[in-house]
Amino acid sequence: MTMNQLERKLQKADQKQSYLYLFCNFVSLLLITSYAAMMFSPTVLLILPEGGDSRKQVTMIFVLALFGCVVFTVYASGLFFRKKSRQLGILMALGASRKRLAPGLFREVLILSSVSSLLGIVAGFPFVYLLWNGFRLFIVDTDEMRLQLDYRCLLLSAVFFVLVVAFSCVTAYRYLRRTNIIDVVHEEHKNEPVRELGRWCGPVGILLIFAGAVCGYEAPAVYMNLFSAYPTGLISIFYAPVFVGLYMVMLHSVVHGWAGKRKHPYKNIISRSMMKFQGKQTVNNLLVSTVLIAGSAFAIFYIPMLGAGQVLDVHSRPFDYCYHYRMDQTALQQEEIQKLAAAHGLSVKDFRQSSYLILGIDAIVRKEDGRRFHEEHVDLCESVKVLSESGFNALTGEQIVVPSGEYRVVSTSTESDIYHYTNTGTFLTNMATRETIPAKFGGYAHYDFLAGPPGYYVINDDDYTAIASGLTPDWLGTVAFFNIDGKDSYAFAQDFFHTLISCFGPECEYAYFYDRVAKIAAEEAGEVYWGDTDSMSQISFDAPDASDFRLYWAYMPKIRILDQNDFLRSFAVYLMMFLFISIICTLAALIISYTRCMTITLNNRYVFDDLRRLGAPPAFLVREVKSQAGTVFRMPSVVGMTAMYLLYVMLMFGNDGQLVMGEVAGLGACLIILLVMACIVYAVYRITVQKMCRELEI
Amino acid sequence: MLLIKNLHKSYRTGTKSYPVLKGINLSVAEQEFVAVMGPSGSGKSTLLNCISCYIPFDEGSISLGGERLKGLNEDALAKIRNEKLGFVFQDFMLLDGLTVRENILVPRIIKDKVEPEAERLADTLLSLFGIAHIAAKYPAEISGGERQRTAVARSLINQPLMILADEPTGNLDSKSSRTVIETFENARKQLGATIFMVTHDSFAASFCDRVILLKDGAVYDSLTRNMTGSESRDMFQDRLLAAIKQMSAIEGRPEEQ
Repeated sequence: MTMNQLERKLQKADQKQSYLYLFCNFVSLLLITSYAAMMFSPTVLLILPEGGDSRKQVTMIFVLALFGCVVFTVYASGLFFRKKSRQLGILMALGASRKRLAPGLFREVLILSSVSSLLGIVAGFPFVYLLWNGFRLFIVDTDEMRLQLDYRCLLLSAVFFVLVVAFSCVTAYRYLRRTNIIDVVHEEHKNEPVRELGRWCGPVGILLIFAGAVCGYEAPAVYMNLFSAYPTGLISIFYAPVFVGLYMVMLHSVVHGWAGKRKHPYKNIISRSMMKFQGKQTVNNLLVSTVLIAGSAFAIFYIPMLGAGQVLDVHSRPFDYCYHYRMDQTALQQEEIQKLAAAHGLSVKDFRQSSYLILGIDAIVRKEDGRRFHEEHVDLCESVKVLSESGFNALTGEQIVVPSGEYRVVSTSTESDIYHYTNTGTFLTNMATRETIPAKFGGYAHYDFLAGPPGYYVINDDDYTAIASGLTPDWLGTVAFFNIDGKDSYAFAQDFFHTLISCFGPECEYAYFYDRVAKIAAEEAGEVYWGDTDSMSQISFDAPDASDFRLYWAYMPKIRILDQNDFLRSFAVYLMMFLFISIICTLAALIISYTRCMTITLNNRYVFDDLRRLGAPPAFLVREVKSQAGTVFRMPSVVGMTAMYLLYVMLMFGNDGQLVMGEVAGLGACLIILLVMACIVYAVYRITVQKMCRELEI
Repeated sequence: MLLIKNLHKSYRTGTKSYPVLKGINLSVAEQEFVAVMGPSGSGKSTLLNCISCYIPFDEGSISLGGERLKGLNEDALAKIRNEKLGFVFQDFMLLDGLTVRENILVPRIIKDKVEPEAERLADTLLSLFGIAHIAAKYPAEISGGERQRTAVARSLINQPLMILADEPTGNLDSKSSRTVIETFENARKQLGATIFMVTHDSFAASFCDRVILLKDGAVYDSLTRNMTGSESRDMFQDRLLAAIKQMSAIEGRPEEQ
């Protein structure tokens, strides 16, 4: 037998350890590749506006997942070498020089790390395809859901691949360079206990989590107020106390646990000691799992928060239909709609309509100069749709009075949408004649059905008549509401929607945030209007069912039955992407927790053997196993989920200083989702406990 | 065979230094069976680790077969461990993935290719120590005593100048301990091995020619068994126990009293 044959035989004997290392690297690369594939997919990028919050959040969760995978890989590598060190130490003790051992060790490490990483990368793409097409098969399928991949995402996987291989080689080198052979031999049994710490650690950690969340959330606003400039990404450093707090909470969980003073203080002495003696690794693992569970909850909460608000909004509408059009278009009139409805066996009732003006409004706006900004008054800031007070009252049944020289903004009853509207205006401009009338902000008129950007404004009837004089039809519009007598039909709704679109000419083929007044003002100032640049979302009459069209078209009607039935289709890519992220993060957290439990089992096998020899019955041993696995699974789930739930409550409340009905309903739905997530975690915990018991022959 | 002069060794923790060996002087002759005894913390294992070239020492010298260990590079030290020393550990340190026979051959594999002559020697050792019937078994399948006999056989495969044994009976019951000590005696009688053993076990030490007592990092006393026949093994063990009792009761070394 030669040295090579000896090493091969030893590697074969250590297969279990090698497979664990292989598996951990494989999972890390699989997750990173699939997440990167999804994040850089044109399918997803299309719906995430550049610089938008959604893209930032997806990137933030990706960074967290990346951090989790890095820690997991380092952990796997450490585990592998700790087991390997006994073998290395014995061979060194028996006279093998480091030079003699190095080629075999590096060969093994290189093969294991590179093969596992490559397999992970290769499996990442089928994984994305399977999961995404699973969504299409079982949840929702639209043209936009067709998955396109940008293979440049492989660059990220390649970087991680190089890091994994390099880190493995560096760790191998470090183990070989150790001078004390006895230490190398006993490395496997070396404990990493956490030092004693006071019971204050956990509560202080919780306080830090809260303080960090508030500081991180408020810091950008404070910075902008103080310096009149937008902060860089570095401002996120104010969230740092959250991570310190999380670490302290995990430390407290491992050292003390969270149960108060017990009647039987020695009841958990064995499980607590086992946990403490593997403390450092356990705390690291708990922290990573917590971050991943939190990332998962953050992503999945998007779905109910978006859905619940939408469902409530659609359900509470006072009319089945609302549409508006410019007077230079040949839009549908009441008689034509009646005819269309009759063709579907329906009839229209409660038909109401009112004309409105499209005027320019002045405002104090924030002008940007790089990261710095200042506020200045702009005469022609944006266009507003202006109703007369009698027109508004006729449409809505309200009885508001608007004094001359004022304007009211139509908002929801909770005024949760007021950040969309201008409340610093002082005059309105007729864009055809450039005549102006004074109009200062006089408060809000509440009517949920008409609220929403770009918004309706209401002025005094006399002012309305005065400023309307000389307006050309392209600056005039009509808004109409109606109900269907009896049960509405989806077929009619679709027919109405498509017929309405066919009435519009290409001059109306733009998104609601493409502002004609702002464009004129920019052109008059010799500038290029930002809406004419590439960054503007494009919509097309050729794709009226596309989510971009449904979300952004300037003349998009509100149709209750269409919005109810097509909600999932309209938001499909968006919703599925967040579902995908949530699945990836949960999967990663569960795999990390499972691996940690199996490591605890392997490292503490002798403790269980000793307990058995001391006469511990199987029920006692099972309790000890459950106690170990329980902490590993329970802590990240409880902390991660609770923290994210509270963060969402804070975000929702922080938006407008209140929780509106849609938000409360969304938060309620989030609780149900948390329950489902908890059930999944519990199921995996049960499977893990069974596997641990089998491994320990209990 | 082994000559140690004024050996010093300290361990460092942060800025603090803890002296463990404080000027050890001793020698071991060829084919001698020597035990080192002493209370915990007396420096027994550190002394053995220094002789084994596992850890470097601070001052003094160690000569093995006339070769000084200080100043040798890593490769040379590895070569000494492989060719001039044989090791027996308390927890056996057998490689789990190899059979008993393969474990015995490991030092030879490290040294060079395994020639038929080495295989014959392995078979001889298997028979000599009564473990031929378990040659194809793995360490997990045999008893503690059998594992330690395998380790003794392994320590002899390269026909070293000296066997270093660290608490070889520490993990064994009395019956297995006796078998292992008899294995050492066999090795000495039939193969002419020199054995240097660290132990807590007075019964195991009573089989030795000489027992060195260590206390606080220095040689406290050295007891030589009267081999002319006037002192039985039991009597030597009684003398040993009395010396240990005295050592525990008195502070410092006898010459200092």
